[in-house]
Amino acid sequence: MRPRKLSRRATGADAVFAHGARAVGASVLVITGGVGVFLAWQAYPTLQRYGWSFFTESAWEPDQDVIGIAAVLVGTISVALVAMFFAFPTSVLMALYISEYAPARIKSTLVSLIDLMAAVPSIVYGLWGFFLIMPHAAELALWLHKHLGWIPIFDVRGTDPDAATWDTTRYVASAFCAGIAVAMMVMPMACAVMRQVFSQTPPGEKEAALALGATRWGMITAVVLPFGRGGIIGGTMLGLGRALGETIAVVLIISPAFEIKPNILEVGTSTVSALIAGRFGEASPAQLSALLAAGFVLFMITLVINTLAAVIVNRSRSGEGVD
Amino acid sequence: MTTRKVRLGLGTLAVITASTVALLGAPATAVDRGGAADPELSRAAYAQIEGTGSTWSELIVQQWIADVDSNGMKVVYTGGGSSKGRKDFAQNSTDFAISEIPYQGVDEQGNADTSNGREYAYLPIVAGGTAFTYQLKIGDQLVRNLRLSGETITKIFTNQITNWNDPAIAADNNGRAFPSLPITPVVRSDGSGTTAQFTTWMDKEYPSLWRAFYGKAGLTSYYPREGRAVGQAGSDQVMNTIAGFAGNGTIGYVEYSYPVNKDYPVVKVLNKGGYFVEPTDYNVAVALTKAKINQDKSSPLYLTQILDEVYRHPDPRAYPISSYSYMVIPTGATDQRMTTAKRQTLADFMYYSLCAGQTKAGPYGYSPLPLNLVKAGFEQIAKLKTADPAVDLTDRDVTQCNNPTFDGKNLANNLLAETAPQPAACDKAGEGPCGTETGTNTPSTDDGSATPEVTVETPGAPTPGTDPGTGVPAPPDGGAPAVDPDTGEVVVAAGTTTGEQAPDFAAPTELASGRPVDTSTFGWVAALLLVALVLLPGVMVSSFRRRAKASPR
Repeated sequence: MRPRKLSRRATGADAVFAHGARAVGASVLVITGGVGVFLAWQAYPTLQRYGWSFFTESAWEPDQDVIGIAAVLVGTISVALVAMFFAFPTSVLMALYISEYAPARIKSTLVSLIDLMAAVPSIVYGLWGFFLIMPHAAELALWLHKHLGWIPIFDVRGTDPDAATWDTTRYVASAFCAGIAVAMMVMPMACAVMRQVFSQTPPGEKEAALALGATRWGMITAVVLPFGRGGIIGGTMLGLGRALGETIAVVLIISPAFEIKPNILEVGTSTVSALIAGRFGEASPAQLSALLAAGFVLFMITLVINTLAAVIVNRSRSGEGVD
Repeated sequence: MTTRKVRLGLGTLAVITASTVALLGAPATAVDRGGAADPELSRAAYAQIEGTGSTWSELIVQQWIADVDSNGMKVVYTGGGSSKGRKDFAQNSTDFAISEIPYQGVDEQGNADTSNGREYAYLPIVAGGTAFTYQLKIGDQLVRNLRLSGETITKIFTNQITNWNDPAIAADNNGRAFPSLPITPVVRSDGSGTTAQFTTWMDKEYPSLWRAFYGKAGLTSYYPREGRAVGQAGSDQVMNTIAGFAGNGTIGYVEYSYPVNKDYPVVKVLNKGGYFVEPTDYNVAVALTKAKINQDKSSPLYLTQILDEVYRHPDPRAYPISSYSYMVIPTGATDQRMTTAKRQTLADFMYYSLCAGQTKAGPYGYSPLPLNLVKAGFEQIAKLKTADPAVDLTDRDVTQCNNPTFDGKNLANNLLAETAPQPAACDKAGEGPCGTETGTNTPSTDDGSATPEVTVETPGAPTPGTDPGTGVPAPPDGGAPAVDPDTGEVVVAAGTTTGEQAPDFAAPTELASGRPVDTSTFGWVAALLLVALVLLPGVMVSSFRRRAKASPR
């Protein structure tokens, strides 16, 4: 007697739901792919015309027929790195405090405050950065230049930090100032991911550590951080992906300069998204193609970074970080 | 100066809001105007119109928009630069554009700069002076009476003069030296009509300096930023940067209204009459009497300006870098964006702007249009009726406008230019400099009745007589400030110079006391405090615990 055959195929309403969900899920791929294809299609004439020099040339002078994104790419990365320098420690500590230390009654308030930070429009961060933060950032930049100026990234060319009156104009509108504003925007995002991963730490292991006599800090270093390592890296990279693409706040703060330079404290830098936002309004078709080519490069970079982040975050969910 | 609703310090916020409004505002359909015979403005059927373009004229346009709002006219205007305005109009994405320069055919970058086949007409809307505003401090005192010749300005913006203690600057200021401080020019980073006007002037007046810097002849809307110069998008960001905390040593170019609004000084520019003048509405009006307006109605450039004569106007009152700003209006009968209601809104908005709106030009740092241009503007508005007969243009009388330039008897006269006060004697090259402040929208003159609050050297000095041959006022006898023949400095004699601004004449040397406190020490102290703030609570808590443990129960 053979057992009755069981079909695992969904029928009726189940089938409709399954197919509908699959179609909607697939549309995400279609949209993302469509953006990529559109950008690549628009960028093609530019890439064909300028070839490899599009990536090595630093000037952006459409009137001289010289276009390249070397400088804006370096600027983009330096702004993003400055942002991560500030956002990484704050988001890790914030996430640890919320998931491990905060009393239950303020926990939800803190979580919603962080979410609120993520909801503030970036133009507000831009104005905040321009009017409130930049004066103080400039003084910090001067201090860094004065004491750590021998490190190339803290050098500000063409000015003497010990002069009787310091040359304020050299220390503003820099990658450093823009990075601080961007940090405030990426911090909530990174923090949310990390908090989620920390909160998934198996309670049994945490209790075991405490039962073995570990202090709370000892428990965190022994259990929570190793378990959440993937989340920390993933959240940081998601934040980095957003930092690379941040636009309006950067446009407001920086003074556009197309030059490859490591001097993050010095006035003038440019990022890909700021370049597109600044030049889009008045671009001719040829320039538009060049701008979209720059956008395509940025798209690819963020795609790679976000994919890596997603892979790492997914891995950590399995608890691989804990031996 | 009444309600200044439009504060563009937060200009970008306004842009966001405006574009949101533009998105949300459902385009009203053409409504048949029920009371077509009724000239009452508020009864007209209006639809929201949208435009982009010049930030040079944005402040006055926003004021006009606020004024007509109560009449039911909804106008949305966002800056973004003249280049953007012309391009948006060409792409049919706006109902009007405002630009300082006409469509260039082929722009300086070799790209098409045309209306893309959309029919249009130029309509002069307001005059004004491109002002040079700056932040320069001696000690902690803001210099408010800087004077520069055109050549010095050109050299500054072409990076040939790089320090405020340059002898050329001292010479322009009659020997008054400024501290050793690097000059940071602030230029526009976006495509800008202000840049176009400024570079046109440099190209015409100082071609050898400008062309060597730019690499070729002609104007540009995109300033070739080099060296120390800082680029900023939009006039308001240029102004914010100069007026900002890091602005000491900066100089930039914006319409006069921006520094007036922000209470910031502007450079008095040397004119061909030998006087240093500020771009007040009077001085701009005087200069623009020499503007050549294209009067060929068949020309696509009808009503556009040729300013060569303006730059070289020998009148001692003329501000050299004066110009008009234009609105580009769609005149095609089949224009895809326009409806009767939109045309009516545009026509009534421009009627208000050209007529009653011009009275506000002066107080806001612009200069009103003369009668001939207002009249020509009315003819351009009439093209909207040609395109669509349903547009109602009844009851439009140019002479009823309360425009300060209008002379009831002689229509060709510019009353404002005729009544413009002569510059103060201390504004003459080789005299002064005057201690009066700039950027206050009041003319610097010895004519006391015109400017009650100006502190001229000796109140009650006789009004200088004008030499009819040259138009140059003779220096007032006895009332003139004494000038040391050796140094060229104004002799500050006690008792005679009560109105004079003594602090601005202080020794232009850098003093250690002039700078903020020793930041190095405080930097370390701050770092130490920060570390202490983080560590101390923990250390204290642990020490308390240890003590509690140690103590016997």
